[in-house]
Amino acid sequence: MGKNLPIAPVDHPWATIVVLLIAAVVFGAIPLSLAWLWARLFSPPKPGIQKNATYECGLEAKGDAWIQLNVSYYLYAIVFLIFDVEAVFLLPFAAAFSGLSLAACLAMLVFLLLLVEGLIWACQKGVLTWA
Amino acid sequence: MDQDLKTELSKHGIFATTFEELYNWGRKNSVWPLTFGLACCAIEMIATTMARYDLARFGAEVFRASPRQADLMIVSGTVTKKMAPQVVRLYNQMPEPKYVISMGACAISGGPFRDGYNVLKGIDRYIPVDVHIPGCPPRPEALIHAFMALQDKISAQHLTGESRPRHLKRDLPSEFQVPELGEHGLEPQQNDEVFRNPLKVLQG
Amino acid sequence: MTLEEIRSRLEAFVPGCHAEIVVNGSPSAQNSLLIDRQHGLQAAMYLRDHPELQLDFCSNVTAVDWPDREKAEKIKTKRIVDGVEKEVEETKKTTIPGYLEVVYHLFSIAKKEGPVVLRMHTANRTDEVTLQSLTPVWRSAEFQEREAFDLFGIVFEGHPDLRRILMWEGFTDHPMRKDYVPPPDDDLEILAVSEPGA
Repeated sequence: MGKNLPIAPVDHPWATIVVLLIAAVVFGAIPLSLAWLWARLFSPPKPGIQKNATYECGLEAKGDAWIQLNVSYYLYAIVFLIFDVEAVFLLPFAAAFSGLSLAACLAMLVFLLLLVEGLIWACQKGVLTWA
Repeated sequence: MDQDLKTELSKHGIFATTFEELYNWGRKNSVWPLTFGLACCAIEMIATTMARYDLARFGAEVFRASPRQADLMIVSGTVTKKMAPQVVRLYNQMPEPKYVISMGACAISGGPFRDGYNVLKGIDRYIPVDVHIPGCPPRPEALIHAFMALQDKISAQHLTGESRPRHLKRDLPSEFQVPELGEHGLEPQQNDEVFRNPLKVLQG
Repeated sequence: MTLEEIRSRLEAFVPGCHAEIVVNGSPSAQNSLLIDRQHGLQAAMYLRDHPELQLDFCSNVTAVDWPDREKAEKIKTKRIVDGVEKEVEETKKTTIPGYLEVVYHLFSIAKKEGPVVLRMHTANRTDEVTLQSLTPVWRSAEFQEREAFDLFGIVFEGHPDLRRILMWEGFTDHPMRKDYVPPPDDDLEILAVSEPGA
C-alpha cells in the first residue's frame, strides 16, 4: 500500500514524535500569532511618561530609592536570627522529642544554651529595651 | 449580514457572527474595574460587588488593584481638588481601551459640596466620562444599570471606520493633562479637550 | 467652679492676665472666657494644672473670622431746629475693626467636668495674626491649630509643626475667611443667571 504513494511514509520510529512536536508548536503558535496580528491591527500602542511610570498609586514618585539604613540595625538582625533559628530547629526537635536519645537531647540543650547566651548578650547591650 | 437572515439562521441552529461582534462580546463581558473608592459612593460600589447584587454576573467581579490591569474606573464619590491629579494620573496609567463611570452627584458635578473650596466640580473636567449615574449615593441597582449601559456602549463600538473609538485612532494620545495644585486652585480649571462646558454647548 | 470664679482666679493668680466673660444668649447659655492674647499660654497652664480645675483635655479647637463691622446706635439728642428745641434721633455709626478668634473647648477627664470655652483674639485680620499656641499645654490641639492656620491664617507662636494640613503646600488663600473668593468658574451658575426669565 505504501508503495503506491508518491512520497514514501517515513518508517523511522520517532517520526510520530516529530509530527506531534510540529503539531504542538503550531497549535501554540496559531493563537499567539493571531493575538499578535490583532494587536497590530486593533490595539495601537500608545506609551507615555505617566503610563510607563514605575509607581502605580497615582502619586508621583519623589526622592531616591537608595536610602541609607542605620548600621545599628545589625543588632535587630542578630536578635531576629536568634529567635528565628531557634524556632526552626526547635519545631522538629519538639515533634520527635519522645523518640530521641539522651545524646540528642544534650546536643539540643547545648544549642539552646548558645542561643540563650546570645540573648543575654543582646539584653546586656540594651537592644531589647525600648527607647 | 442582514439581521433578519441572522435570526432566521439561528432558528435553524446556525450561529452567524462577525469578528467585531465576537470581539465586543468578549470585551463587554470581562470589564475589570479598578479597586478605587473615594467617598460614600464606594460603599454602594462595594455592596454591588457582594453576593446580594453580584456584579460578577456581568463579568466584572475582578477588581484589579493596579491600573495596568483595569479597564474601567468607577469614580465613586467626591473628588477633592487635592485628589484630582491622582485620579487623572491613575486614569492615564490604565491601558486602552478604558472606560469611566462617574458615580454619584459629587463625581458628576461636585454635588452637595459643589460650593466647597476644596471640591472638584465634576471629574469630567479632566477625563472623558462614559456613563454618569445620578444619586446621592446611587443604589447598587443604578450602578448595575450604568454597567449595562456601558456594556451596550462597548458592543456598539466599531473596529474600523471614522466612528471607531478613540483607542483605535493611532494619532490620539492615551494620556490626558494632569492638573497641578496651584496657588488658588487647580491649574488649569478644566481640560478643554475633554470638558464640554454646558454654557458653551448651549450657546453653540 | 463657675466661670466667674475661674475668671477671677485667673486674674488673681496669672499676673497681668485680663479675662472677660462672653455671654451666650442662646438657651444653652454656654458662656465663654475671653483671655487677652499675651497671657494665653500662662492661663492655659494654670487651668490645666490647678488641682481644683484639672482641665486636662482639649477636645476641640476652632476659629471664627470677624470682619470689620459697623455698629449702629440710636442716640436721642436735643437740638434747636427752627428756633424750637426738639428731641432728634440720630444714628451713630461706629466701626468695630475685624479680628480672628480661636476657640478652645476644655474638659476635665479627672473631675468629669466641662466644657470650659476659651477664646482669644488676634489684633487684626491682616498683619498681626499671631497668637500663642496651646499645643505645649494640650497635645491634642496640634492638628486643630494647624487647621486653623490653614483655613483662617492664624499664626500660632510656639507650635511645633505649623504647616498646612488640609490644603496643599503652595496654596496661598485661607478659604474659611469671610472675604475668601474662590477662583472664578464659568459654569452652570452663570447659565442660570444669564437665562432670561430665570
